[in-house]
Amino acid sequence: MRFIAPLFRATTVAAMFFLLAGTAHAQFLDEWVNYKWKDVPRTADGKVNLTAPTPKTADGKPDFSGFFMPRDFSKLINIAGNKPEDIPLLPAARALYQQRIDSNGKDHPGAFCLPSGIPEKLSIPDGLKVIQTPNVIVFLYESRTIYRQVFLDGRKLPKIDTDDFQPSWMGYSVGRWEGDTLVVETVGSNGKAWLDMRGLPGTEALHVTERYTRPNMGIVNIDVTIDDPKAYSKPWSFKVTWNLRGDAELIESICEENSKDAPHMVGK
Amino acid sequence: MQLRQSFWAAIIVLAVAAPLAAHHSFAAEYDGTKQVTMSGKVTKVEWMNPHAFFYVDVKDEKTGQIANWAFELNSPNYLMRSGWTKSSLKVDDLVTVQGALSRDGNKQVNASTVKLSATGKVLFAGSSDPNAPR
Repeated sequence: MRFIAPLFRATTVAAMFFLLAGTAHAQFLDEWVNYKWKDVPRTADGKVNLTAPTPKTADGKPDFSGFFMPRDFSKLINIAGNKPEDIPLLPAARALYQQRIDSNGKDHPGAFCLPSGIPEKLSIPDGLKVIQTPNVIVFLYESRTIYRQVFLDGRKLPKIDTDDFQPSWMGYSVGRWEGDTLVVETVGSNGKAWLDMRGLPGTEALHVTERYTRPNMGIVNIDVTIDDPKAYSKPWSFKVTWNLRGDAELIESICEENSKDAPHMVGK
Repeated sequence: MQLRQSFWAAIIVLAVAAPLAAHHSFAAEYDGTKQVTMSGKVTKVEWMNPHAFFYVDVKDEKTGQIANWAFELNSPNYLMRSGWTKSSLKVDDLVTVQGALSRDGNKQVNASTVKLSATGKVLFAGSSDPNAPR
C-alpha cells in the first residue's frame, strides 16, 4: 500500500472513490430475511426511503436506530489513508506499526477470532444494529456477535487507573447530546485491539471521541478523534460514514465455529 | 501523467472500496500473485462462520495423482446477502475454482470464483483478495 499513497492525492480520484464505493455497496440488494421494517418512510416502490428526514425520538432527539453498513471499507484496512505521515505516531508506536505492516498483519486479533475495539469496530463490513433508548444506546455487531453500550443517563467516564476497573476490548462508553450531535467518549480499552487492520496501535490510555450525526434517514456520519498519549504525540481525527441497509437484519456469526486460518497466517 | 495516475489510482481504489469482509489479513495467508485454476468434484462443504470452506478432489495432470484441496470462501452471512444459499454448492458437484494460493504450502486456496460445471453458472466467492473479481 505504501507505494501507491501519492496517487490518492488527486481530488478527481477522491470523487471517483465515493462513486465506486457506492457502486460496490449497491450489490447488497438481496436480504436473507424478506421482512419489512415497521414504521419507516418508504418510496413508491416500497423500499425504505433513504433520503427521508432524520428520524426523531419522542423527545425530539435524532434517532440513530437502524441496521447499518460502513460505506467505505478502506477505513477498515487503513485509517491513515493516503497520508500516513499525518498520523502523529510516537517512535515505539511507529516501530510497532511498521512491524505489523511488514508482516502483512498476520497477528491481527481477528485471525484468532478476537474482537475489534473502538474505532476499528466502526468499519467492520458485517453490519450492525443500533437500538436507541433515552438512557442507553445499544450497538449489536454481527461480527463476533458482540455488543456495545453507550450510556446516556448522565454518568461520568470511569477512572481507569483503579484496581476495580476492568479494561475490555470495547471499552466503556458514555454519551451526551450537543444539539443534534451525539458525542460519545470511550475509555478503558485493554490495549490489545488494533485501530485498523494495517496495524495502527492503541494502548490502555486510548480515549476515543465520536461525534455522531444523522443528516437524513440513510446516512450516519461519525467524526472520530483518537487521543492516546502512549502511542501518539497529539490527538488526530478521521471520518467514518455508515449507510442504512433498509429491511436488513442481523445474522448470527460465531467465529469460533469454523476458524482455521490462524495456523496458516505466515505473513510473508 | 495526471490522467494515468488517476486511472491506476481508481483501479486500486475500486479494489480497496469493494466490500471485503475477511476476519483476518488476506495477504498474511494467501499470495495474490499466485493465481490458480483447479477443477474437480466437491467432497465436503463447511457452511460455517467466519468463513465457509469446501473441499475438492483435484487431479494432478502431470502425475495423475488425486489430492484433496481446501477452498476458502467469505462468510455464509456475506454469501447469503450476495445471493448464495447453503445449497448453492453441494457434495459431488463438479466445479472449476479460481483463486489465490496459500503462502504456507498447504493445499489451500482463497477462492475468487466458483464455476458449476452442470450449469456453467459462476458464483463469486466474496474473496478478501483486493484484486478478486466480484
